[in-house]
Amino acid sequence: MFRTFLSLRYLKARKTNWIGMAGILVAVGALVLILSIMAGFLEESRRTLRGNLADLVIQPSFQSSVLQENGDWVPMQTDVERMLEIIREDPDVVAATPQLQWYGIFAPDGGESALEKPMQDAIQLIELVGIDVEGEGEATDFRESLEAEYGKKPGMGKFCNVGRPEDVEDPFVNLRDVRQRRTRLKVPILVGEQLAYLWGLRRGQEVSLVTATYDEASSKLNETAANARFQVVGSFRSKDNETDSRRIYMDRRALADFLQRDRLWSAVLVKLDDYERDKDAVRARLWSKLHAEGFLSAPGIRLNEFRTWEDFRATLLAAIQNEKALMGIMLSLVLVVAGFTVFALLSMMVTEKRRDIGILCALGATPRGVLALFLMIGLWEAVIGSALGALVGITGAYNIDAIERKLSSVFGFQIFNREIYLFDHIPAEVSFSGVAWIVGGAVFSTLLFAAIPAWRASRLDPVEALRHE
Amino acid sequence: MSDPTQHPLSADAVLSCAGVRRSFPVGERRLEILHGINLELRAGERLALMGTSGAGKTTLLHILGLLDRPTEGSVRVAGEDAWSLSPKRRANLRNQKIGFVFQFYHLLPELSALENAVLPAMIKLSRRAFRSNRAEFLDRATTMLTRFGLADRLGHRPSQLSGGEQQRIAIARALLLDPPILIADEPTGNLDRGTGEKVLEILLDEQSARGVALMLVTHDERLAKRCERVLYMEDGLIQADSSAPIPT
Repeated sequence: MFRTFLSLRYLKARKTNWIGMAGILVAVGALVLILSIMAGFLEESRRTLRGNLADLVIQPSFQSSVLQENGDWVPMQTDVERMLEIIREDPDVVAATPQLQWYGIFAPDGGESALEKPMQDAIQLIELVGIDVEGEGEATDFRESLEAEYGKKPGMGKFCNVGRPEDVEDPFVNLRDVRQRRTRLKVPILVGEQLAYLWGLRRGQEVSLVTATYDEASSKLNETAANARFQVVGSFRSKDNETDSRRIYMDRRALADFLQRDRLWSAVLVKLDDYERDKDAVRARLWSKLHAEGFLSAPGIRLNEFRTWEDFRATLLAAIQNEKALMGIMLSLVLVVAGFTVFALLSMMVTEKRRDIGILCALGATPRGVLALFLMIGLWEAVIGSALGALVGITGAYNIDAIERKLSSVFGFQIFNREIYLFDHIPAEVSFSGVAWIVGGAVFSTLLFAAIPAWRASRLDPVEALRHE
Repeated sequence: MSDPTQHPLSADAVLSCAGVRRSFPVGERRLEILHGINLELRAGERLALMGTSGAGKTTLLHILGLLDRPTEGSVRVAGEDAWSLSPKRRANLRNQKIGFVFQFYHLLPELSALENAVLPAMIKLSRRAFRSNRAEFLDRATTMLTRFGLADRLGHRPSQLSGGEQQRIAIARALLLDPPILIADEPTGNLDRGTGEKVLEILLDEQSARGVALMLVTHDERLAKRCERVLYMEDGLIQADSSAPIPT
């Protein structure tokens, strides 16, 4: 009984112990707050990195034949309707849609400028994506990217002059004024917001796209490049900078016409019911089914035939994960510093309380009891300090925007400049399992540091201790 | 009394030692403080231990109180060979069989008078056991402290109390668990004469009333005369017993 009673009494009576507790509070609070903000930033970055990528992307290699497990070569299938049927049969698949992807040159001044002028000045390499609006909306964040708030550059206000298409539900319709003028209607396209900004595009502007095409029958390049004018009818914002600066959407059939292709697709996008839960199982299942039907090579042979969105961003995602782990390790050093404080304070206390230790031994306390007494002081400091720290950290994370605004008004400058980041708020995500780990780590490290002075206390000679004044 | 074989234990001995030697390393040699002490304290007996400074009285007291281990020899408390027991059982013996009263009171400064007095019970019992007996122990300590004239000082910290008051709390603490042995190391040595007298009266009254065996280290001849037996120590040996004529 005396251990609990005395440890609490010492804690209450000796204000210096509160310094250790305050150290743990600050360390845990800072750790929870910073890791929550980091997690928020990383999650936002993850969403940003994803752009308009679907959960799963199937891109057949379109070879002439596929080797089956029995050793037979079967002709590679290209019937997208059959492929979609197989995919949609899967119970964990929510949506699937075909896409036609190609690459081209963006030359707003006219296709000829692509050859006349040096690179970068008048042309840009771009990604041409032909879509079915409805299917794309179901399988990806395409629709959200059309409705996204427009980004701003510092001091420039709204920087994209194109804006949303007239009808978000049916974006590939010619603009009203063009229809009224009854001019020859150009194929409508949606451009990435960054692309629009870089080239100063306006809604309704006509631009040229140039690309090489090939003859599907002979599998040879056509001698002349495809060069056509298109009309900008809207912009989108997927938040992924690369997508927003390189991608142009148009109707899938319009793109096939431009490319003079009979095959209207090059990829199939799949949305899952629960990506984290189902991604591996569905991929394995679909891959073997599609292989069996001759759409894909055997699972694992050509990895880029069937990828998750994370496979497309593997390097960056790994870097983000690594950064988070590194940050955690670096910040946990703060806990070590707090542990040192507890160690120093308890060591001082053991020296000061030598006579008390002698008295307790004279009254019947065992060395183990004395050890437990000082360990308990460390434990209280750790438990109270880290619980309060967790509370402060969680409260801080949930109110980080209000705190930032308050601090910004106090210091007279904006701490978090919303114009620099893609987010209009400071993202913070509290992971309660993470908080539990931090609190557990704080308690463990404090106990470890408290164990040394506690052990010293338990080894004191009671006779010597009683003589101590 | 140096030969243990000449003094077999009495049946009613609550505390005894035989052939106790204690030496300390000093540089490369050892300094022997006690040269083979045999002693017994019978139940209810009042024994005074006298001697010059450095005679080894306090060292012997610490050994008899199980705070220090003899280099040689044995100590028996309530019939048990204390140094053959585990540290835990030895600590239990110290807690339940021996009450200490020190010259400098040795109260814990963070605790109130009442809390200091019930501290042995807190050490003896688990949290649950103490909770269920808390009222009884608090009542016992309050009664004692009230009897000692400290009824209005129960909540005071040691720093708010006089030396006499602190020593009375120390006596209450020593007697809380009704130990059969009370060891007092110059209990009035730090008090003025009048206060010392009052404290001594309390100590001796309680000892008589409870039938506790009291071993008292003192330099005070008058106090020694109030004891049934007086031992004189010199150079680490008991030189005389009051059963023999007291040397002048």
